[in-house]
Amino acid sequence: MIIFSVLLLTFCVGFFGKEEIDDLALVMAVGIDKGEDGQFWITAQVARPADARGEASVGGTEGEATWTATGEGKTIFEAIRNIARFSSRRVYWGHNSIIVVSEEVARDGIVDVIDFFTRNNELRMRTWIVVTEKKANEVVAVKTGLEVIPGISLDRLFRYSPLVAEAPRSDVMTLSAAYVGEHTHPYLAMVNLRSRGVDPEHPREFGSIPQVELSGTAIFRDDQMVGKLDPRESSGFLWFVEDVGTAVIPLSCPNEEGTVTIELRENRFKLTPKYKKGQVSFEAAIETSADLVELGCPTELEHSEIMDILKNDAEDYIKESIEMMIEKVQKEFKVDAIKLGRTFQAKYPQYWVELKDDWDEIFLGVDLDITVKVELNNPQLLENPTRKSKD
Amino acid sequence: MNLKEQLEQDVFIRLKQNVDRIQNILGHSSDLVKREFFIMDNSDFEVTVIFIDGLVDENQIDKTILSPLLNNNRNLQFLNELTKSEEIAQALTKKLLLIPSINTVIKFQDAIDELLAGSTLLFVDHCSQAFVLSTQGWDSRGIEEPQTETVIRGPRDGFVESIRVNTSLIRRRIRDPMFRLQSMKIGERSKTDVAIAYIDGLVREGLVEEVLERLNRIKIDAILESNYIEELIDDAPTSPFLTVQGTERPDKICAGIYEGKVAIIVDNTPFVLLVPTHFWTFLNTSDDYYTHFMMASFNRLIRYMAFIISLTLPSMFVMLVSFHQEMIPTPLAITIAAGREIVPLPILLETIIMEFSFELMREAGLRMPKPIGQAVSIVGSLIIGQAAVEAGLVSPIMVIVVATTGIASFAIPNYFASFSIRLIRFPILIASGTLGLLGFSTIFVVVLIHALSLRSFGEPYLAPIFPFNSSDQKDTMVRAPWWAIEKRPVDVKDDPERDTKGQKPTPKK
Repeated sequence: MIIFSVLLLTFCVGFFGKEEIDDLALVMAVGIDKGEDGQFWITAQVARPADARGEASVGGTEGEATWTATGEGKTIFEAIRNIARFSSRRVYWGHNSIIVVSEEVARDGIVDVIDFFTRNNELRMRTWIVVTEKKANEVVAVKTGLEVIPGISLDRLFRYSPLVAEAPRSDVMTLSAAYVGEHTHPYLAMVNLRSRGVDPEHPREFGSIPQVELSGTAIFRDDQMVGKLDPRESSGFLWFVEDVGTAVIPLSCPNEEGTVTIELRENRFKLTPKYKKGQVSFEAAIETSADLVELGCPTELEHSEIMDILKNDAEDYIKESIEMMIEKVQKEFKVDAIKLGRTFQAKYPQYWVELKDDWDEIFLGVDLDITVKVELNNPQLLENPTRKSKD
Repeated sequence: MNLKEQLEQDVFIRLKQNVDRIQNILGHSSDLVKREFFIMDNSDFEVTVIFIDGLVDENQIDKTILSPLLNNNRNLQFLNELTKSEEIAQALTKKLLLIPSINTVIKFQDAIDELLAGSTLLFVDHCSQAFVLSTQGWDSRGIEEPQTETVIRGPRDGFVESIRVNTSLIRRRIRDPMFRLQSMKIGERSKTDVAIAYIDGLVREGLVEEVLERLNRIKIDAILESNYIEELIDDAPTSPFLTVQGTERPDKICAGIYEGKVAIIVDNTPFVLLVPTHFWTFLNTSDDYYTHFMMASFNRLIRYMAFIISLTLPSMFVMLVSFHQEMIPTPLAITIAAGREIVPLPILLETIIMEFSFELMREAGLRMPKPIGQAVSIVGSLIIGQAAVEAGLVSPIMVIVVATTGIASFAIPNYFASFSIRLIRFPILIASGTLGLLGFSTIFVVVLIHALSLRSFGEPYLAPIFPFNSSDQKDTMVRAPWWAIEKRPVDVKDDPERDTKGQKPTPKK
């Protein structure tokens, strides 16, 4: 009897509609655009496993690795339902790696996006979310990168983003936390399409295939995008919101033509709020140890002299990036995107109670004192410039 | 007069009567040998020797019984002077017979028992007792390396079917005056020799009494193998877990005896039992103690992993693929989905079919005569291999999962323990294929609770991990070097010190 019921159970469950992995349409990337009449256009990039696996696959024919489809609707969910109408498998969001929001939608407000993508149980909070100047469906549909599936290559783009440190790592978690948080405002990474891929059949047409690249930061007031920071400004912005990795600083040679590259190694960032006589100010101290990775100067200066000059240049460069960013954030966008209020609240919770309601006003007049200290090392044994000057 | 009454009677005075009675009881069996003669041609001293052909050593009978009685002329005179039967008996045992062990019995029952055990009976006319001369000697297999438990380094001798040889193998390793060997006969009809072996003073108090009590409780016709005893003294007779360990290796038994356990040796089988048993000992091998402790610990960890893999891998796979797809890393999810693209069966059914095929192949390979065994493996590798994948019946990952599980189950050194683990795998598999993580964890917890509640001869089955005992950990998950294992297992309460402290070699620089 027991054996019979176990068998029965097995066969019942086995044969009647259970969602096994091959019954699912695994969404890899999703794009959100505005359609006509204020409708949402959702573009989903779905992996086709048999082809995505390459030549080792079992039933694989040579086809596209992904299938991209769009649906429209008054709400995001309705648009997704519309995709499901013509999808032969159940649309499954558990493996979605990136949400691309078009600037158009971002300017109008992304509260619907935040709501839907945090409420749905299938979606992960660790999904990247970015803003693009182009149409989101262009970004989602583009064949990018080294990976077979574009969605995965977008995911990896973020994994190595600290290498260049020109855009923040923004996922649904940080977005919703910043949106829900008092007196904080969200920021998202921006992506752009750039013709950088080289077509092997036409190698002379340099960079004919569009590729997705990270390019700057989108700044929001509540749920509406108010402006964007370019990559240089973003590199200043990153000090305030996350750990800066091994960012690269390009400098020019002292007194001569040529370029120098410095790579940051270990960074320490300290933001100290000050409150004196009702006046709020901040001190930002950056300490970093950097490596000289490229020295293209035909100079006759002593090694230590060059290092000293470069050290000062690097300090100025970092300071300048931050000042450019502050200028924009404080004067142009008038949004506390760099979480100064949060830092102040943490240090002086008692004064924050008085200030918090007027913080948006106060922020505009806040002084930020920046000190940068770079410790420049030479990782090589070679002390002298490689390129000798021509006499 | 029925058989029982005949057996209960005493031996008669008349030789003829005795011989007739013995023949009558044994029903004139064809292997019953009767040799009648006169001691030194003196017709006053008629004797008869009775033995069972095949159970005795005939050379020994010839040299130690027949020759002295027929040829020795030196004692002819004094024997003539004897008249009383008691004196004759004394003269026989003290002056004539060369056999080392002689007993006298009065009852037919005892005489028959000894006869059937391979002794020779000697009846003397006018003497109302039977002489039991121990002449056992039947062919026995030579001592070979155990087939079920092989080692890389370590002794290559294994138990054989003869209980005497087996006890001698143990005795050779334990020269402790406190070593005890108690014999008994179990089996109403088979009268199988069973012995228990232990070291007095090391064994936990009351354990020997417990073992004896359980053995004495057995009322069964025959004991043909030690599993009969195992099942009849088991603590948890309906559990898939084994609470008695059986092994073919004398060194393993001796190690157990030195740890305060009791060995049960059964005649006619090379498998000797060891109680109490803890679950983790099934994952240990003799090799662990004969190789360097780092190697041993590494191998042991591998085996613990193998245990977990063999228990859970298929169910984990089924659970993830059919219920918790979000828990699989994205690239792996795509690979799995690609492999399953053209498989028509649901994953649970696919797994059960594959697991079943594997068990089928294992069983067939075991039952086949050795020369045909190769054919099984060739056909079997087609069933759970590339051909099945190419036919689109199973996914490639499933082959890996089932094969890994199978290999892992073979890495568990005790075949019988690995079988019980494989048995538990199926309920877990079905539960996780129907209810996902919920089913998996439910059945897993049920099995865990069951294992926790088990006891083997009064000791917790999962000791020393549950309940945790820190000093015993040196020989559980890893094997500490010998100079670090200073204490015996905690069950040996009276005499805990195994060796003196500070024996770590510190050679002078």
